[in-house]
Amino acid sequence: MISFLTDLFSNFWVSLAGKLAIVGLMIPLVGMVIGFAEMKLSAKMQARVGPYFAGGRWGWAQLIADGVKFFQKEDLIPAEADRPVFKIAPVLVLVSTVALLVVIPFGPGLIFRDLSVGVFFALAISSLSTIGILMAGWSSGNKYSLMGGLRAAGQLIAYELPLVLAVVGSVILAGTMSMSGIVEAQIEAGYPYVIFQFIGFGIFMIAALAELSRIPFDMPIAESELVMGYLTEYSGFRFLFFFLAEFANMFSLSAIAVTLFLGGYWLPGIPEDVLAYVGPLILLAKTFLLVFVMIWFRWTFPRFREDQLQSLAWKFLVPLALANIAITAVFKVVLS
Amino acid sequence: MTSSPSETETTAHPLQELADEVAGAVGGEAEITFDTIKVHVSPESWVETLTTARDDLGLVFFSWLSAVDWTAEVEVGDSPGDDVETRFEVLAAVADVSAGRRVIFTTNVQHDAPSIASLVDVYSGANWHEREAHEMFGIDFEGHPNLANLYLTDSFIGNPLRKSYPLLSREVKPWPGKVDVEGMPGADDDDADETADGPSEENPEA
Amino acid sequence: MVLDQDLVRHLSESSVSVELETEDMTLNIGPQHPSTHGVLRLVARVDGERAFDVQPVIGYMHRGYEKLSEVRTYPQITTLVNRIDWVSGYANEVPFIVAAEKLLGIEVPERAQFIRLILTEMARISSHLIFMASYPLELGAATPLFFALRERERVLDLLEGVTGGRFHPNFNRIGGVKPAYGSGSSTRKVIQDLPEGFLAETRDAMDKVTVAVDEINTLVAGNEILLARTKGIGILPPEVAVSYGVSGPNLRASGVPFDLRKVENYLPYHLFDFEVPVGENGDCWDRWHVRLLEIRQSVRIIQQAIDKIPSGPLQAKVPKVIKVPPGETYVRAENPKGEMGYYLVSKGGQGPYRLKIRSASFSNISILPWILEGVLVPDIIAIMGSLDFVLGDVDR
Repeated sequence: MISFLTDLFSNFWVSLAGKLAIVGLMIPLVGMVIGFAEMKLSAKMQARVGPYFAGGRWGWAQLIADGVKFFQKEDLIPAEADRPVFKIAPVLVLVSTVALLVVIPFGPGLIFRDLSVGVFFALAISSLSTIGILMAGWSSGNKYSLMGGLRAAGQLIAYELPLVLAVVGSVILAGTMSMSGIVEAQIEAGYPYVIFQFIGFGIFMIAALAELSRIPFDMPIAESELVMGYLTEYSGFRFLFFFLAEFANMFSLSAIAVTLFLGGYWLPGIPEDVLAYVGPLILLAKTFLLVFVMIWFRWTFPRFREDQLQSLAWKFLVPLALANIAITAVFKVVLS
Repeated sequence: MTSSPSETETTAHPLQELADEVAGAVGGEAEITFDTIKVHVSPESWVETLTTARDDLGLVFFSWLSAVDWTAEVEVGDSPGDDVETRFEVLAAVADVSAGRRVIFTTNVQHDAPSIASLVDVYSGANWHEREAHEMFGIDFEGHPNLANLYLTDSFIGNPLRKSYPLLSREVKPWPGKVDVEGMPGADDDDADETADGPSEENPEA
Repeated sequence: MVLDQDLVRHLSESSVSVELETEDMTLNIGPQHPSTHGVLRLVARVDGERAFDVQPVIGYMHRGYEKLSEVRTYPQITTLVNRIDWVSGYANEVPFIVAAEKLLGIEVPERAQFIRLILTEMARISSHLIFMASYPLELGAATPLFFALRERERVLDLLEGVTGGRFHPNFNRIGGVKPAYGSGSSTRKVIQDLPEGFLAETRDAMDKVTVAVDEINTLVAGNEILLARTKGIGILPPEVAVSYGVSGPNLRASGVPFDLRKVENYLPYHLFDFEVPVGENGDCWDRWHVRLLEIRQSVRIIQQAIDKIPSGPLQAKVPKVIKVPPGETYVRAENPKGEMGYYLVSKGGQGPYRLKIRSASFSNISILPWILEGVLVPDIIAIMGSLDFVLGDVDR
């Protein structure tokens, strides 16, 4: 039986179909789980209960109900909007999120495609969402959306640089840009890279929050000022795409952080063969820990103003990241 | 603290000194009515009076500016009687921010085509108050930079707070408040009536 | 680096042929907007992120109270007047009733005055808690909202227990406050006093409010992001504030230690020991901080009042049909939002000849065109929120 399955999946097309199915299912599933977690966790932090009625006492069916609700809404496109751009924007954002999952190693050998420049690919693809957001803001035909889109453009471009520079430290330590290669290097070294790359980890998490436009960096959305910023005119399933994309992106960026800094699917003391089965679970646990921290920050802090945000990125994070790279490189050369 | 009608007392009212000082400084007539100082000046000296109040008397805080439409013919409410002099009484209340002294300066403006100088250069707060008085009473404030409507839409006709402006819903239906209303449930006629409470007691049908 | 405002305006209005031609944009904030405290509309001309000509458009909630008061009797006007500043319902009634009582020459029993004072301070706590809730929300922090509103529920429950209404108590009557009725046919005797246990529950609730306010302070006051968003933003110099008629916590935050509770005698505040919190710079942070300290002072006053409250009747003897003798008076009070006053002109009769309502928020937001000149768009929201106004108070 097992051999039949392995033969089946060694066929290129079958395995491709299988991988597409998994990725296609993962995004809504992950999105729903994280969305639900956000609702319940924020409720706990705010002395209330959160979703309660949908699906029994825990309210677990709330997001399923929300998904169905979004799908059956009327597809409204404002008269002044630029139709093709308006329609493509959410797709672009979702696509960049999905593509990130391709290079995340879920276990030893359990990776959709092990690119030798995995890190580079991941960071490049995640920048596509910036274009999607700009398109959304501009094409909505609405001044608030335009302002939101412009703020988003400024913010996302500003924080790309710290995001990229922060991971260079890990790449130097591992000596490879392949994601699974970095995890294997951490396994070989016997410690997760965060122990030496804590600065890089911190910068990466801050930049990731900014890339996701989450509080404290949600100026582009800034609910209390711009209604919903670039998302104002989106409703129905187009809004669902953005909504899911945000949560899935939280997952993807956290997974990248776990892979590059926290040791990926590995925990010290677990033998290799067990790792093939337990690896995905370990990765998911670590990722959800980081997602929890992101949710926690969102409900605790107010938001930065645009110029404060920019000066944080350019005047603080970038120099710090460069210093981190320099120190790491020196140590690597001296100690090897 | 008790409230007391003040004019005819053997001991001087505690505000008398301030009233006399203000009246002397601006050259007007002071009146103390129920713990409120009103100083009456002529319309020509309106700006000068308030400038003196602000600079010499320390009354720097601008409280409000409004008007009262005195006329015997009213569309709304009770008439004040036939002996009232038909005019607009413009009031400006100013105060200080240390000892709690407050004075209401008042002047009379003619009823047809009322007009008076604007106080915008003396107190910045007068800007919005004058806009409101203009749209509500039709008083023209000379020298005001932007006398556009504040509350009412641009297409509004008439000046609502004038006594000649009717309350349109009252034209259609008389005020039901003059009709007997039932007492509170559980409060019977015998003992509850002794206390002066409940909606029926306060209507003039009793 | 702060650009000179004139330079900004010049650059945005002139078109330079060599470099970028920037046009300014007219941004309409409101009237439907999550953070304008009601239906306020701001027409702002913005250049990029900087606004330079902000004109408020008000009147969306104008209900014509001054005209309506001319056809109503005094007790009926108390129902109207509750709804001016609906966040602190009880505090609106007190100066009006005191004005009517002044003209009638009625002396209000001591117990009634103490009850009025306790309820007014509770209204102040309620209003400031709404500010604590909504202001961080405008800056993006969603959690203090829930903590503050949970505490406010305690206060509103107490208010409902004694007056029957959470937001619009309508508890004052000419000559005092309204005594409670007994309920059910078995209690034919009318209970002429506060509900049993009200004072003890109030004391309890005040302790809990103090704890919660400290919690909110910790959550908010140490937060660097919040400090960066509010310190140095929207500075209001005291001379400008006074000239525009800004009053209440906004004025005190600018450094003017003036509180009407200390100088006016509409309620017996002179019997109690309390401080008047004053700010230093007049920025948004000071306006937040002054209101926080005021909640603590109000708790202090209420606790002293509960200790000292005398027994006695709740209402003076008044005739059934109340006609106020002719006269004019102006009574002003320290409302949570600022100075609220009523100029009452009576010509005999059951209703006033003219009632001029001086509402605090009207003067407080007349300063918006001045204070929003040349500020960034996110700061517009921060500054507006810190002025703490309510549209019912602005528009009457």
